[in-house]
Amino acid sequence: MIKTASVTLIGLILYGILILPFTTYLHNKPFVEKLGYVPSVPAFKTIAADQKELVAASLVLKVLIYFGGLVEKSESQLAIPPDYMSMSRLLHGAVKLDPYNMDAYYFAQSFLTWDVKQYKLANDLLDYGMKYRTWDWCLPFFAGFNSAFFLKDYAAAAGYYQRAGELSGSDLSKLLAGRYMQESGQTELAIGYLSAMVKGEHNPALKKNYQIRLTAFQEAHRIEVARDHYRESRGAIPAMIGQLVSGGFLSPPPRDPYGGEFYLEGDGKVATTSKYAFAKVKNKSLKNAGDVNERH
Amino acid sequence: MTTIIGITLKGIFRDRVFQGIMVTACAFVLIPGLATLSMRQVTELSLTLTLSLISFIMLMLSVFLGGTSLWKDIERRYTFSVLGLPLSRQGYLLGRFGGTALFLLLVAVVLGIAAGAVVAFTASVHPPDRPIVWGTVALCILFDVLKYILLIAVAFLISTVSTSFFLPVFGTIATFLAGGVTQQVYEYIHSPASKNLSPIMKQLATGLYYLLPNFSAFDLKVNAIYGLPVPANGLFLTVAYFVVYVGLLLSFSAAIFSRREMR
Repeated sequence: MIKTASVTLIGLILYGILILPFTTYLHNKPFVEKLGYVPSVPAFKTIAADQKELVAASLVLKVLIYFGGLVEKSESQLAIPPDYMSMSRLLHGAVKLDPYNMDAYYFAQSFLTWDVKQYKLANDLLDYGMKYRTWDWCLPFFAGFNSAFFLKDYAAAAGYYQRAGELSGSDLSKLLAGRYMQESGQTELAIGYLSAMVKGEHNPALKKNYQIRLTAFQEAHRIEVARDHYRESRGAIPAMIGQLVSGGFLSPPPRDPYGGEFYLEGDGKVATTSKYAFAKVKNKSLKNAGDVNERH
Repeated sequence: MTTIIGITLKGIFRDRVFQGIMVTACAFVLIPGLATLSMRQVTELSLTLTLSLISFIMLMLSVFLGGTSLWKDIERRYTFSVLGLPLSRQGYLLGRFGGTALFLLLVAVVLGIAAGAVVAFTASVHPPDRPIVWGTVALCILFDVLKYILLIAVAFLISTVSTSFFLPVFGTIATFLAGGVTQQVYEYIHSPASKNLSPIMKQLATGLYYLLPNFSAFDLKVNAIYGLPVPANGLFLTVAYFVVYVGLLLSFSAAIFSRREMR
């Protein structure tokens, strides 16, 4: 009895010694490792058996938690480049398992366009989703925005918005379709789109991500308005944003939430050195993470 | 036979299987919280999780109750005393099967009610874009029950030829996995993508498709989660398939069990 109790006690002590470094190791494990390896979709379908919807949901949640962790780190001034390729692969796998999973389309739309600039890939995914979610106005709404804002394909945008309008039963999308037919006012349209996304978003990480981008576009829009006033007043486009501030057209000075500097291009277009993304931190561990990314 | 059904049910309750399931079902309480991790389909995720949990519990029951019921009786020599009574071996086997299937149905009803409460609560907090079609949810659980009753029949068939519990348990799991992908394999070999596959391989795969149970027909989860319509003729054909396939499995099992040498 005493011997058994002693062995149990030793076991508990060993567990107590081990559990802290074990937890620390798992907590600090690189994100790329956490996202892990995902087998091919046919293999997944076989393993998932009758739990395909559950497996798809778990893949989406895995990506979301991974991304949420990165957003937290970016708040603490440690911007780690996300492994977008793995994220995209997981979400594409998820919709192959459950083509109705809205979270996958929604999340893919959020980063494939703004961050990865894979507009066609995003629209292909949305087109795939539209074949299944035939009642959902969000997918053509997203595709319409991508077509107009990123791809400058206004005819396609009008078609998508027409469909979104029919599905939603409101004239909002049809009105947007009309606006997207015009190339002008892109920043305003982006603000409108992002405002709608921020309003409808419940996930804190994504909401913050959209909010930061919205703030950046609102700042860019402020500069555009000041630039137009300057042009009306002085008859020429300003060469620098400093001219707008010193001339009293722009107050307070614009601030890029991504940490960059706004500037005016030759044709007066507002741009920023951050390219609407957080600067990447260069260190050894991140270099390794990047190496892993390249291998995928 | 009804006596054996009753004894089987009592035995399962005596083994505290139901209590074990109820403990596992406590996970339902966590589902509304977990579902909020979803961005755009909180109610759909809660439905996914509840239906998956029910399905998983029923899978475990089918494999372990179905795979060990007969083996346990033979191993503990209960069969000697029971079959000494004026009771046919077929009646005994069917009674055991009926009791196990009835327990599975009972569990599904209890878990289904719990799932309904969880999903209704989630939907009240996070109203879904599309209304929940409760009839389809109930159908989904019912067809899951049919699927796992079919799996129990498979487990009983394997048990009749096995002398240990390994073969029924692992054989049932293997059949479950194979039965879930036969439709995909069938569609693949009948598509242009399989043009490089040898004709013998195709014939073998087709043969296995007809031989193995097809579980994909019983899976209505996607319909229940997203409120998609369920074709009535498909349901009718699936029920007919279930009746015929289970009937065949039980008749084979009864034939083998009646000739089995008991030592």
